[in-house]
Amino acid sequence: MSDLDDFKATYFDECSELLTELEEQFAAIEEGERGSDRLNAVFRAIHSIKGGAGAFGFSALVGFAHAYETLLDYVRDGRVELTDEVAALCIRANDIVADYVKAAQLGEELPLDYGSEEKSRFDALARGDTSTSDDEDDLSGEIVEEFDLEFVPVMVSIGTDDASDDTFDAPPMEDVDGSWSIRFTPHRALYARANDPLLLFRELAALGEISVTAHLAEISQLADFDPFAVYCSWTITLSGPDVSEISIREVFEFVDGDCEIIISRGGAAPAAPVKAIVADEEEDADFASLLALTEEEMASKKAVVVPSAAKAEVPAAAEDAGLSFLDLAAEIKPAAPVVAARPVAPTAPKPPAAAAPTAANEQEESHRPSGVQSIRVDLDKVDRVVNMVGELVITQSMLTQQMDETLRARYTELVRGLEVLAQTTRGLQDSVMAIRAQPVKSVFSRMPRLVRELAIKTGKKIKLETIGENTEIDKTVIEQLSDPLTHMIRNSADHGIESPEKRLAVGKNEFGTVRLSAEQAGGNILIIVEDDGAGINRDRVLQLARDKGIVAPDFTPTDEQIDQLIFAPGFSTADAVSDISGRGVGMDVVLSNIKKIGGSVHVRSRTGKGTRMTLRLPLTLAVLDVMLVRLGGSPYVVPLSSIVETIQCSRASFDRVPSGGRVLQVRGEYVQVADLCQRFGLPSEVKPDDQFVVLCETEGSQKLALVVDDIIGQQQVVIKSLEENFERVEGIAGGTILGDGNVALIVDVQGLRTTQLHQNAA
Amino acid sequence: MESLSLRDDMGDNTAVAGQNTLQLIAFSIGDQTYGVEITTVREIRAWNGATPLPNTREFVRGVINLRGTIVPIFDLRARFGDGQTSPTKNHVVVVMSVGDKWVGILVDAVSDILTVNRADIHNVPEGNAIDTELLNGIVTHDSRMVGLIDLHAVVSGARLDA
Repeated sequence: MSDLDDFKATYFDECSELLTELEEQFAAIEEGERGSDRLNAVFRAIHSIKGGAGAFGFSALVGFAHAYETLLDYVRDGRVELTDEVAALCIRANDIVADYVKAAQLGEELPLDYGSEEKSRFDALARGDTSTSDDEDDLSGEIVEEFDLEFVPVMVSIGTDDASDDTFDAPPMEDVDGSWSIRFTPHRALYARANDPLLLFRELAALGEISVTAHLAEISQLADFDPFAVYCSWTITLSGPDVSEISIREVFEFVDGDCEIIISRGGAAPAAPVKAIVADEEEDADFASLLALTEEEMASKKAVVVPSAAKAEVPAAAEDAGLSFLDLAAEIKPAAPVVAARPVAPTAPKPPAAAAPTAANEQEESHRPSGVQSIRVDLDKVDRVVNMVGELVITQSMLTQQMDETLRARYTELVRGLEVLAQTTRGLQDSVMAIRAQPVKSVFSRMPRLVRELAIKTGKKIKLETIGENTEIDKTVIEQLSDPLTHMIRNSADHGIESPEKRLAVGKNEFGTVRLSAEQAGGNILIIVEDDGAGINRDRVLQLARDKGIVAPDFTPTDEQIDQLIFAPGFSTADAVSDISGRGVGMDVVLSNIKKIGGSVHVRSRTGKGTRMTLRLPLTLAVLDVMLVRLGGSPYVVPLSSIVETIQCSRASFDRVPSGGRVLQVRGEYVQVADLCQRFGLPSEVKPDDQFVVLCETEGSQKLALVVDDIIGQQQVVIKSLEENFERVEGIAGGTILGDGNVALIVDVQGLRTTQLHQNAA
Repeated sequence: MESLSLRDDMGDNTAVAGQNTLQLIAFSIGDQTYGVEITTVREIRAWNGATPLPNTREFVRGVINLRGTIVPIFDLRARFGDGQTSPTKNHVVVVMSVGDKWVGILVDAVSDILTVNRADIHNVPEGNAIDTELLNGIVTHDSRMVGLIDLHAVVSGARLDA
């Protein structure tokens, strides 16, 4: 059972990747790229989702995906034109598939008629564009709904007295003239891509009357049986009034390159003759179980049809009635039917026997462009490596620190070795961090769907632009990003963007734009959600904040401070509680989530022009660039990302405010001062004039000046949690281990500012 | 190095110690002996300083680096209200697991491994609240009194505001 669960987990992983790909493909299609590559990719993705769903028995998903797939197939064939309307329908369909996958994952049931509207649209489109004739209309309808097909079984028995010429003289098809003979030899890759020949046969069956013959002579001895090898090939005879070679080729287009197809007219000889087929049911049963054939295939296998081409050779083999099937198969094998890679001509040359199907297949495989290879790794394993590399970096820097001048002079070789070690560890650290880095695309790609849904729900016209989606961030950061981004985009769509009428009235384009961008800025990643809506209604926000007691009645905040109020807990500016927002969980979730991963949020709004929300995130959670400072004899670290500048106290101009607190004037701006020694209850060891001010920037560009005893230098540290074995300590964001093996504490700049405000208020 | 891992012994001892007996690591604070159950002890290290933590009570000596993990150190003497220990190189940190956390207890010296009968454990006499709060029980060994430390109680209330 747990194995199955593992497979399921892998399937859902793949589904989420495939759905991401769908989003990407359709984003490109929406922008006008309508090449067959895009459509093929979409088709493949849906097909793969369907295949897995079938394996796990998610029948509702299979049903929908199937109808969708049929439409896609028609679009690919050009039978249905990819109009904007069809593209929109496809995008809806992607969402529905995503919902089905989610429901399957959670073990939930969607309403029975979920997506039925779209499904019937698919059918209508498929019907409407296939043909105007009523007959075909019915036929295609039948295919979409039931996929009924009939094989025409003709029993043939070889190696018995019945194997007379008469049997073989009987034409396999009733109507030889109008029929096509298709020799279909799948390659290993065809199965590797989860294609099922049965589906191809079904499509062929849609074209006309078909009869399928399985060639089983390739099946090897059980001892040599390779479960991944391909032992079966088929000859299909197809007859129908309007069957053209092109339409047959179209059926196989999707598996092009993964199989050999020889099409010949009039039931004539397929180029590669089939030597013998024996269907002794008893022996057959073993292979049947080995190959795990589907029922239909079983049926077709029992009903072996020998094409007329095989006439000459088959009796010869059949005469040898004493031979068992296996012997026969073994004997025949060297002369296995193999056709050149591009078997367009009906009379393809026969390559040497050495190029058995598998060999040819492997050759082909190696020619295929490899692309980016990847493996799935448990994140825990990567974390362990990251931690160990962190330790290595610390040990390395400890060793370097131990080398004083005398040692350096005496052991030059050792020094050189340490320098190489330092370089290597740095390289190793970068590489390990790169393993955890992922493009933000994986989160961004979920947003178009959200925006579409929001647009539908709010009745607004919204366009989403994404920029810099290949920017890479640490995996843990990315995981934490989805919720905040969703809230921010909801906020933009619901509160920011105006209704189309309103937009037109103020002279804007009726389409509102939400721009989502990611860029790297030093050791940070900036993620910006920007809209061209109405901006924040400051009067309303302030009024609400006053009503809720967030802002004191006599206090008049600046515009920027008002904008920042939307991050206050429980704050919602929605007039009415809708199902989009206003459920009490609002932007404060954004703030707390982002703070959790060491980032900050800043909002900037211009009335009538729009709102811009900026997320500043650390590149990685594991390593932090810090400034090492001294407080009362102990080293402390301040995250470099928050530091604006450092000033010597003797040059700084302090002032006092009535509460007794000190403020610092920096270029005309008054900044709160936090004397860290005092705050942490440490005895300061230096004279006030020799101290330093580290000017830090916190959320929303609010500044805080930290007074420290000394500045030691900058370095990279690995963040360690204090809470793992202890509890949260006020003013401390965590710990880190310095080169000498001692623990240094990380100053929580944001936390200090907040408590400073409390203290001042008290 | 200076640490002595007790993990290997654990299996044997638990095999010897049955349902009715309890194995203790005994350590001293001044002339008093205290004990903790041996299975909670992870390692014993010599005192090598700790980074002080601001805004915590005086019995929190700070944090140390235990092979890459930050572990808080509690001064048991200070926890008992006898003022902070002035630690020397001869003082010992007993690293133990309390729930899912690892903590270190600073003591004067580790003295013994004791096997006691569970039946011999006495209740702490009612009286001073701090005794009943920090001790799980009292047991006699070689006519000495051994106080059984309640680790959960020792490590709680570390923050100044808590």
